[in-house]
Amino acid sequence: MEIGDVFGPYHFQVSREQLVRYAGASDDYNPIHYDDAAAKGFGLPGVIVHGMLNMGLIARYMLEEAFDGQARLEHYAVRFRQMVQPGCPLTVTGRVRDIADDVVYVDVQLAADGEKPAVTGKMRLRAGVRKGN
Amino acid sequence: MFRIDATLTGQWSDTQIRVIERGAAAKFARALGLTSGIHYDPDAARLAGYRDVVAPPTFAVTLLPWQIPGLELPEAGVLHGEQEFEWGEPLCAGDAVSVRGRLDDIKTRSGQQGRMSIVTIVSEAHHESGALAFRARAMLVVTEEGEHGDR
Repeated sequence: MEIGDVFGPYHFQVSREQLVRYAGASDDYNPIHYDDAAAKGFGLPGVIVHGMLNMGLIARYMLEEAFDGQARLEHYAVRFRQMVQPGCPLTVTGRVRDIADDVVYVDVQLAADGEKPAVTGKMRLRAGVRKGN
Repeated sequence: MFRIDATLTGQWSDTQIRVIERGAAAKFARALGLTSGIHYDPDAARLAGYRDVVAPPTFAVTLLPWQIPGLELPEAGVLHGEQEFEWGEPLCAGDAVSVRGRLDDIKTRSGQQGRMSIVTIVSEAHHESGALAFRARAMLVVTEEGEHGDR
């Protein structure tokens, strides 16, 4: 692995079913994530994906795809820049910003196809499977 | 309705003890589409060096104490602006962590879209051993639409 290496692009969509699953799993029942009328009442185009679901999905692609389960997240910060709607084609990418021994710094983003990034962030991962606990 | 009062800055939430349950960790992992056995299978988790099934990193969001005494956020109309986590010892099923949060900052801005408040809450969670589980910083944007919302 070298500085500048790119992970992805990983392509996917978030379904409405996933929004409901995530609402239940995270105990976040804000109606803007499942009720179109409520979302429109708050000036949104319709239901939107939980920011934290987007954050979690980026982490999933980095941990399970880019690092193949061989790294642990130590630090992760994101900025939510645009709304994401269910059914919209999405892409996650990562780029290695720095490496220091077994610590890897990765810039990440999630974007709807052809749009500006909806979520941008930075991760610090420690490579290597954890031993003992 | 809700109330945003800058004099509440620095106010801590109560400390809550939260127990990590296998089912909750697995349900969260499934909602994200994670496939690693460390989130579902205690044997796989132990083989990987964990005490029990390990919660996905962003599971920490379910433990955040949003209830800061005196701070009333609307039920809807709150936008998540930024989120940051720093993790220490992993959260495994059976762990009991003590969690508390502090209202770190409130800023109110007026713009073309009306008044908005930017609320920053920092939180920390520790294991029974005293080891850090995680620190978190959430930046929330409460818009005037949220302010006038009544649901």
